[in-house]
Amino acid sequence: MIIQAESPVLEIHDMTVSYDQSPVLWNVDFTLPSGQLIGVLGPNGAGKSTLIKAIMGLVEPSGGYVKVFDRSLAEVRSRISYVPQRESVDWNFPASVLDVVIMGTYGKLGLFKRPGKREKEVALASLDQVGMSAFVNRQISELSGGQQQRVFLARALAQDADLYLMDEPFAGVDMATEATIFELLKRMTKEGKTVVVVHHDIYSAMTYFDWMIMLNLHLVASGPKNQVVTEELLRKTYGGKLNLLSKVSEIVRKQDFNPLES
Amino acid sequence: MSFDQNAFLIILTGSLIAISCGLLGVFMMLRKMSMTGDAISHAVLPGIVIGFFVAGSQRGIEVIIGAGLLGILATLIIDWLRQKARVQLDASIGITFTLLFAIGIILINMLANNVDLDQECVLYGEIAYIPIDLWITGSGAVLGPRITYLALLNFTLVAGFIYFFFKELTLTSFDESFGSVIGIPSKGINLALMSMVSYTTVSSFEAVGAILVVALLVVPPATAFLWTKNMMPLIKLTTVLGIAISILGYYLAYLFDSSIAGMMVSVAGVLFLLSALIKGRSRKSAGTSIANI
Repeated sequence: MIIQAESPVLEIHDMTVSYDQSPVLWNVDFTLPSGQLIGVLGPNGAGKSTLIKAIMGLVEPSGGYVKVFDRSLAEVRSRISYVPQRESVDWNFPASVLDVVIMGTYGKLGLFKRPGKREKEVALASLDQVGMSAFVNRQISELSGGQQQRVFLARALAQDADLYLMDEPFAGVDMATEATIFELLKRMTKEGKTVVVVHHDIYSAMTYFDWMIMLNLHLVASGPKNQVVTEELLRKTYGGKLNLLSKVSEIVRKQDFNPLES
Repeated sequence: MSFDQNAFLIILTGSLIAISCGLLGVFMMLRKMSMTGDAISHAVLPGIVIGFFVAGSQRGIEVIIGAGLLGILATLIIDWLRQKARVQLDASIGITFTLLFAIGIILINMLANNVDLDQECVLYGEIAYIPIDLWITGSGAVLGPRITYLALLNFTLVAGFIYFFFKELTLTSFDESFGSVIGIPSKGINLALMSMVSYTTVSSFEAVGAILVVALLVVPPATAFLWTKNMMPLIKLTTVLGIAISILGYYLAYLFDSSIAGMMVSVAGVLFLLSALIKGRSRKSAGTSIANI
């Protein structure tokens, strides 16, 4: 079930991505509304990260196109931000927390210009938002996994973009931090920003997201949470792993909200 | 000891070369591309030979352009082998630079049998000849040692490159894909860095040789990185190490009547080993103190 958004911020048209001739995403076609917290769900190897990378042009699709804010990617780069997977960089790099967060402002600075007082203030404010003010001058190699994740989040915030794409930002993050970050993301969407999050915990996904994209090489569903999270579509996404699904339905039953009956 | 002008010139030139290599080496190390520097320093050989033939002398700008192009070509071949042909990085580096270096040797033997260019010169260099290799203008004026000028020009360009692109170099070294997303031309920055490494290699080979250039690219940054985990101190310490290596290397070579460039790199190696021993031990003791708590 694919529900199209009105006046979308992101439009993906019939996109196919392949590595070495074998497609990892088939004919994905959807639109996303603005100002919402959007979850990308799917099993391992479903192409979730590839989808995010294709939206940003980090991998070249072999077919189809992406339009952001109704324009081509090159025109709107500075309005898109990215939180990569924590493992994608070497945290032994010689930099402090502040150094990394200031990197978020580089896109708007342009060539030859150096970050100054204003950029530093933006970075400090971003660190404050993720609750990392106490770690400003800390070496990034001395951070825990959850703290590294929050530094990446602060770097994206410092960019002050309109569309945020986050690849598994909750991997290795404890429950309390997860709740704090979700609150922050909610606040951002209230300010009209669109946040797309690759996520694999169905339980917290049901609690926090407004809109869901369910993916398993093909696009299974895209739409408002309470319309697309059904037993049938979950089964299609996760390939009928009944054990998992019964757990999910149990969780859902415990809560008031029960999408499986709709 | 009275002021020895020759010693000063050799140490000055050695320092300039060591600093240029060290500055570029910091970024090569942070990109985990130190061995690509090695590859480039050997792969430029065919470029040098071809440039030599176009220019008719080893002093022409064509030599540097030829070497620069080959350096970039080597980087592109390595990238292509790794990404498209799915060869492992270390294997693709090994294949690329040995192949290009071999082509260079064949070219030298085929074309340059009776001119002043041989493998020895490219591989080893001789910094001790600096004071007698003078830059003499067309009108006969003697302006001083030619290689010192080359090293100074090289140092100025490398320092300028790093000063102006510091932000981009740092970001793309840390997180290349984030750089691409926010619109930093990561590929361009990478190629520019590789071109600077190629140019520095060629500019330095007459003095210290291609093999020793590799050592100067790798060892001082690696030593400095044992002592600091911050960017600016890392760059400053690499610079200081470059100067210290030149001074110590010169006087030790004088003492033992040996090769200056060889001694410079030996000093660098000893400094690195000492640092590794000291830092390794202090890390271990820090570890046990934590374990004791």
